[in-house]
Amino acid sequence: MTGVSVRGGAVAAPLQPPFRFGRELSARVLGFVMNIPTLVTLALVLAYPIFYAAYLSFHRVSLADLRRGVFPFVGLGNYERILADPLFLLALKNTLIFTAISVTAEVVLAIAIALLIDQRQVWTGRITKFLILLPYAVPPIANGLIWSFMYNFDFGFLNRILFTLGMIHDPINWAGNPDTALIAVAIPYIWRTLPFAILLVHAALQGINPELYEAASVDGAGALQRFWHITLPLLRPIIVVTLVLRTSFAFAVFDEILAITQGGPGDATWVAAWYSYRKGFAPPFDIGVGSASAYVLALIVGVLAIAYVKLIYRRIQ
Amino acid sequence: MREQPGVSHGLRRRDLLKATTAGLGLGALGGLPGPAWAAGTPWADRPASKVDRLNFVVWTYGDIYSKISRKFNDDWGIPVDSTISSFNDHPTKLMTMYAGNETIDVSQSSPFSLPNFISQGLVEPLDDLPGAKEYLADLTESARQVAVYDGKLVGLPYFSTVWVWNYYSDMMEKAKLEPFKTYDEFMEQCRKVKKDKIAEYPVAWVAGVGLEQLPGTWYQMTWNRGGVFFDKAGNHQLGPGSIARETLKWWVQTFTEQLADPESLKAQFTTSAKAFGAGKNLYRGPNHHYGLNIANDPAQSPIAGKVKVLGSPGDGRTIGDSHVYFLCTANRDKAWAWKLLQYLGGRTKDGQYSQAINLARDAMLGSGYKSVMTSNVITEGWKPWGDPQKILEIWDKATYVGEICNSIYKPWHFPWTDRLNIEVQKALTGQITADKCCDNLIAAIKEVQRG
Repeated sequence: MTGVSVRGGAVAAPLQPPFRFGRELSARVLGFVMNIPTLVTLALVLAYPIFYAAYLSFHRVSLADLRRGVFPFVGLGNYERILADPLFLLALKNTLIFTAISVTAEVVLAIAIALLIDQRQVWTGRITKFLILLPYAVPPIANGLIWSFMYNFDFGFLNRILFTLGMIHDPINWAGNPDTALIAVAIPYIWRTLPFAILLVHAALQGINPELYEAASVDGAGALQRFWHITLPLLRPIIVVTLVLRTSFAFAVFDEILAITQGGPGDATWVAAWYSYRKGFAPPFDIGVGSASAYVLALIVGVLAIAYVKLIYRRIQ
Repeated sequence: MREQPGVSHGLRRRDLLKATTAGLGLGALGGLPGPAWAAGTPWADRPASKVDRLNFVVWTYGDIYSKISRKFNDDWGIPVDSTISSFNDHPTKLMTMYAGNETIDVSQSSPFSLPNFISQGLVEPLDDLPGAKEYLADLTESARQVAVYDGKLVGLPYFSTVWVWNYYSDMMEKAKLEPFKTYDEFMEQCRKVKKDKIAEYPVAWVAGVGLEQLPGTWYQMTWNRGGVFFDKAGNHQLGPGSIARETLKWWVQTFTEQLADPESLKAQFTTSAKAFGAGKNLYRGPNHHYGLNIANDPAQSPIAGKVKVLGSPGDGRTIGDSHVYFLCTANRDKAWAWKLLQYLGGRTKDGQYSQAINLARDAMLGSGYKSVMTSNVITEGWKPWGDPQKILEIWDKATYVGEICNSIYKPWHFPWTDRLNIEVQKALTGQITADKCCDNLIAAIKEVQRG
């Protein structure tokens, strides 16, 4: 059979040949087959822990119970507990403030710096680009430790520099003062993660057709108008991506908290991820509660991501 | 329910006889390494079972663990793997390994963590193991309070410590002062030193977040003034007019008047000793006595030799505690794990308390064994860093911390301590009053008890 049959003068649709190894696969089947390894990997690496954590969040689980493999079902009990815990609510509030500060700063700075290094005629040599990207290579916990030394009240670099420049007369207790502690954690976090946002925006800038700017210039548009009417609208898709990514990462900030303040002073820098960690991985090792708090966090990030896409993408369309 | 690893590996009398016979035979043939093989003693017998390697999970302290691992390997021909984390991260590391079904032969615990580890099923009782009774008989009272739980021996001592004050003698001379004898005098001295610009912040507290640091400082000063946190029946003693509450008010005052170093709120034991070595403070608040081995170490401290130890005001009462090693239920072989446990917290093959002696000589740590504490290991070994007689006098006035805050025996002590760290730091930084702090802590007791 060749796959074409004629019956009663009508031409029938070609018949699919039976599958044999060595034959070329259709595009749909090939695409599906080639995605299987990725799907399996994602299922094992991401989906399994996500669903298992969801399962744990509905059970009373200590770490010792994990070893024994026996956990009593508690329904929504863990969720009720965290939502009734003032510390969790405070941690959420701190997380929202931290996220608002860091994401806003990252996006604004990323656009500004990306515009700057996109100007080929100014000081943007390769070394400058390398130095701008360098913080992204610093491990988060190392970054936290570096900044905790810089913030040291008695011997820290930051106070020394500000004092030498005459900007302060007395040292500032950056990480030890409840009024400045959250900012003191946000600055190292922004410093570390900003290069990623710069990379995204810079890549998007390079994709903008220069003829648009030339045409605008011919029409008499100034730099600000060109930015407002050409650059910014064309950057919106990447800004959405940056907002979604940076928000989800900022919600999960942990390393800088661990290294610099450990939630202190008092509860000034207790954030949601620190709460989940303390509940799940510090005595009494209440993994169920830790999982539930992580899920509430994930839910909020999900809602925010949808909101970003709807608000900003809709405008683009 | 799965069987807990290690539980089924009971050490039977037959195993011991086999081990003794095999050991004697090998020893006679010269088959066992080691200089002084004390045949017939529990610590010198080779278990009959075979293991390829052993492991322990501990928190860091110098290089004491590489030394003892090497000695174990030299003596028994079995390599020892170690997993070492920071003190504050140790419970997390241990419990995640345990939850992950990893093998853990021996681990260690602070007195604050041990009841929780026991309730989670990590700790193997030791009473029926060879030599356990001898160890029990030699425990100091402080070590016994931790190592014996519900009438069972559950650990061997890592070290014992007593809480002392420190002062910087050069600054004391410069200020023309004598070490304080009352808390009022302490405040006056600090004000004077600040006013005279001899020290910007006359006192450095060990008030970093932790199970022992900030809470311990409050426990110590409350106990010294005659107060406790919970009475014998478990009722809190934090109400209006309580000694704990008044102590906190006094403590807050040192921050309000900017007498306390702001870095105090991040200070752990070691970091605080190093910071004090910079010579910027007159006093270092109550803390573990062995911080002197940093503050008076010329390699680590510019003011080495000038940091002195000071007892507490009044009758001088203070607190002390002991940390222990324990045999983990997740061990691979109980007999060999017991052998390793003895190397860490008991006797080595030669019958010596090698680890306890080394810790006293190298790190100024106290021992949980009476025989070590009364030996010249302490009176001579501690001399490079401080006055052993003075410290031992303070030692005699120490009470186990569990007497002051007996919630450490309760599973809710951890979450309550979390709250304590938060609320007290808020009080010390002026976010809430000491009264509000204590009220919050009283309310938190019921919350954490509900779980």
